[in-house]
Amino acid sequence: MTTEIHTLVGAYVLDAVDDIERATFERHLRECDACRVEVGELSETAARLADNTWSVPPPWLRENVLNEIGRTRQLPLTTEATTATRTTPRRWRFTAAAAAVVAAIGAGSAVYVVQDQRVREQQKVAEAARAEEVRVRAILSSPDVVLRKQEVSTGGRVTVASSRLHNAGVVMLSADRAPTDRVYQLWTIRPGGAPQSAGVLHEGQAADVVVVEGLPGATDVGLTVEPPNGSVTPTLPMIADVKLV
Amino acid sequence: MAERGIGRRPEHLAAVPSTGPPPAEASDLLREVARGDEKAFGKLYDLVAPRVYGLIRRVLRDPAQAEEVTQEALVEVWRMAARFDPARGSATSWIFTIAHRRAVDRVRSEQAATERTIKAGIASVDTPYDAVADEVHGKLERQQVRRCLDDLTELQRQAVTLAYYQGHSYPRVAELLDTPLPTVKTRMRDGLIRLRDCMGTGVSA
Repeated sequence: MTTEIHTLVGAYVLDAVDDIERATFERHLRECDACRVEVGELSETAARLADNTWSVPPPWLRENVLNEIGRTRQLPLTTEATTATRTTPRRWRFTAAAAAVVAAIGAGSAVYVVQDQRVREQQKVAEAARAEEVRVRAILSSPDVVLRKQEVSTGGRVTVASSRLHNAGVVMLSADRAPTDRVYQLWTIRPGGAPQSAGVLHEGQAADVVVVEGLPGATDVGLTVEPPNGSVTPTLPMIADVKLV
Repeated sequence: MAERGIGRRPEHLAAVPSTGPPPAEASDLLREVARGDEKAFGKLYDLVAPRVYGLIRRVLRDPAQAEEVTQEALVEVWRMAARFDPARGSATSWIFTIAHRRAVDRVRSEQAATERTIKAGIASVDTPYDAVADEVHGKLERQQVRRCLDDLTELQRQAVTLAYYQGHSYPRVAELLDTPLPTVKTRMRDGLIRLRDCMGTGVSA
């Protein structure tokens, strides 16, 4: 029986079972330590598939959710029956936790200082990202936004959204693949001036979103392939050239 | 990085790592959320909402319904936060499991199917932001997972993605792939095992 029901582990983790099978499988899990370990690991794996689905929620959703939780009572902490018999599905976690405890005992409050610093740095990065996102959203939702698309000759496309009202634009690169041992670099070309870099991608990076201030004054947005860390002047040919005028 | 100085490229661009945020943060926040901290919940929202919404939208394929189910799922995260046990897995995995199950429940309900058809028509008018930014961000996040998915056999990949991204039950997947039930169950399992080995389990936050 055990082996029969256990073949459902993949389907269970992917939520591809019906309610009865789910209940049966969960009963089986309570009796099988090894199965719980497997389910734990495969659930982590399945959750990674969500990395593939990043999508910007509508801006009002945040407020709706926060309002709703303000009215929603939380369940109290209870000790589940399985707690006592639970094995360690992920040994490294325990090791890490143990190390943290040792460090905390040894170093006292220093640990908290480091922790605090790290949190502050992450917050700063997150805030900058949010501010940037607000700017991107403002430009894209501007009433005078003009969208232009251009295929990348090696696959993919560059999309430019520019707004005179904001005197700025958003350049979005979505290439099919990153160049080998080289990087993508975006350029803006203005009348009477040398091309200016609008951003250098990392090695292996095939997509990017860049805010370019003053973009409406430019005539072209170009894309080239450059040595790692980019170049001062574009290496021709341009593999995409979005005409803005 | 040196190249940052060259152009006008804003610093934020490094802030959207394709592997997701560092592991500690979501679980730290979830622990505070379990104590009723609404501010921590706001931070948790910012951290996971794009992936929760993206996942649910992927399964439901309808932005309006995805919004509704995302709200349900995140409120459930709030409600159940005290039940999260870090010994059993990461906080994000716990959250996405809740989100995915909600989405699957919805997609399998008959009534939802008809509603979805109607609403999909209405929702097809996307703002430029949705259409363009989604695509680009999606692309960015996709790379790593895509690489590992490409590593699977065709049947493993189909079995895993039809179930996870489209919410099909395994008997339905067997039907769609014209493959015997036991084979589909096995491919789902060994597909996931191969993905686990490719991604390195436990890296996710």
